[in-house]
Amino acid sequence: MSVQAYSMSKKQIKELQAKKIKELVSRVYENSPFYRRRLKEAGVDVTNFRPEDIRKIPFTTKTDLRDNYPLGLISVDKSRIVRMHASSGTTGNPTVVAYTKKDIDAWAELNKRCLEACGVTSEDVVQVSYGYGLFTGGLGLHYGAERLGAKVIPASTGNTKRQLKLMKDLGTTVLACTPSYALFLSESAKEEGIDPKKDLRLRVGVLGAEPWSESTRKVLEDEFMQSAHDIYGMSELNGPGVAIECRKKNGLHVWEDHYLVEIIDPNTGEVLEPGEKGEMVVTTLEKEGMPLLRYRTRDITILEDDACECGMAHARIKKILGRTDDMLKIRGICVFPSQIEEVISGFEGLTPFYQLVVDRDGPLDRLLVKVEVSEDFKSDRLTEIVDLQKRLEEELRDVLSISAAVELTEPRTLPRSEGKAQRIIDLRKI
Amino acid sequence: MVKQFSIFLENKPGRLSSVIDLFERNQIRVLAMGIAEAGNYGIVRCILDAPERAAEVLRNANTAVNLVEVVIIEMKDLYSAVKVLGDKGINVDYAYTMDMGRIVIKVDDESKAKKVLSEAGIRTY
Repeated sequence: MSVQAYSMSKKQIKELQAKKIKELVSRVYENSPFYRRRLKEAGVDVTNFRPEDIRKIPFTTKTDLRDNYPLGLISVDKSRIVRMHASSGTTGNPTVVAYTKKDIDAWAELNKRCLEACGVTSEDVVQVSYGYGLFTGGLGLHYGAERLGAKVIPASTGNTKRQLKLMKDLGTTVLACTPSYALFLSESAKEEGIDPKKDLRLRVGVLGAEPWSESTRKVLEDEFMQSAHDIYGMSELNGPGVAIECRKKNGLHVWEDHYLVEIIDPNTGEVLEPGEKGEMVVTTLEKEGMPLLRYRTRDITILEDDACECGMAHARIKKILGRTDDMLKIRGICVFPSQIEEVISGFEGLTPFYQLVVDRDGPLDRLLVKVEVSEDFKSDRLTEIVDLQKRLEEELRDVLSISAAVELTEPRTLPRSEGKAQRIIDLRKI
Repeated sequence: MVKQFSIFLENKPGRLSSVIDLFERNQIRVLAMGIAEAGNYGIVRCILDAPERAAEVLRNANTAVNLVEVVIIEMKDLYSAVKVLGDKGINVDYAYTMDMGRIVIKVDDESKAKKVLSEAGIRTY
């Protein structure tokens, strides 16, 4: 299965997708009252379904999952469900996802593929420092590494000193965790007197669950690991393992035999062409327990369909540019934290840590960007620092189309996190 | 040549005290100090009596610090010194007073400044 997945041509992928989407539509029509109603209302002809009819299918949203809490969207008899995961329910009900035995198996296979695509082999020692439990990150990568035959260390998150000790003593070669935690581990290693180049053997980082930038990759590859790869997924789509950066790092290959990707304009729902920026919408072609038709991921990216030098035909998405939920509306303009991160990365003497504070001055929104200086920041000439601050503010205004105030902070003063980084503080009262 | 420490600090209560406290705990004496501020941050420039140890202590405390070469002269020579520097086209970027009747001067060309000052019979440290 695996070998075939790597060598499929674009034509084979398209044919396979056409066959699978037709099967999927009939399957959910048969088994899911929710989708039967949806498809009927939209007038989709299930029997004579053609691939282009996908555009007639209404989007499925996170709200649909919450409204049908806990298991209203499953498409199999409950007795066939062998696993349930749930996401944090910060606003009301959590989102529950359900797997059959076959789903768990496919999920393991996809994570194995991801690891292989970034050069991991059965010889590797894989430390999984994503959370294990309701969060899918830990178990997903765990299954993939285990299926590959690698040695797995199920470290989960937290206890940074022990993480580093395990890494050193057990000779970890692959680290799977969030990018912000990888940065934190890298910094902590130095504090513990561990020289990653001498004392550690980290070859590959498999980093996901939050958007991250090229500047973070540079810091990690300069100081901590040989090669940092972005992995994409979300619990609604099994978990991690949906897309991965191959060794060319030219976007993330989506496993198109399992996931059908469309990019839409988040405001109008109109389907966009490859190369255009918009919200990623995914249809799960293989999932049995809880398949989703045209699921709105809320992630903003660009689909790239040209050939990749690695030879795999699976289309690529660009690194996630932001989430429609992270999207801040400031004075009516859409702002993504990733845009700010890219600006900061262009300046020397600054760390990748930043924080955005939005508040309101009378009727006007104000954006403050707190940027942390690094220890080798040029700190003698006040004029140079003032100039750097001005240039940062100018570039932010150019990129964001709104003005932002920059505040420089001392090294290691902005919050680090062991899970997803908390980078936005919105103090506006609605 | 004397090395000055230029430390980047946020401009808020307690930050300066934490740095001075760090010196105190490590028996590092401050011989001269000047502060320049701009909005939410500032630069603390200082001359310390144990520069090597101070550099290590500051590094361990994850401080953004730069070492800069400065020229120290006697207060009594101020008039003639700035005249010599001005005549020779050397710019004084900033200056601040020091213990023992001395002045710390940051110029745009330290070695040239030392040379012209010593030629004019002005003592530098």
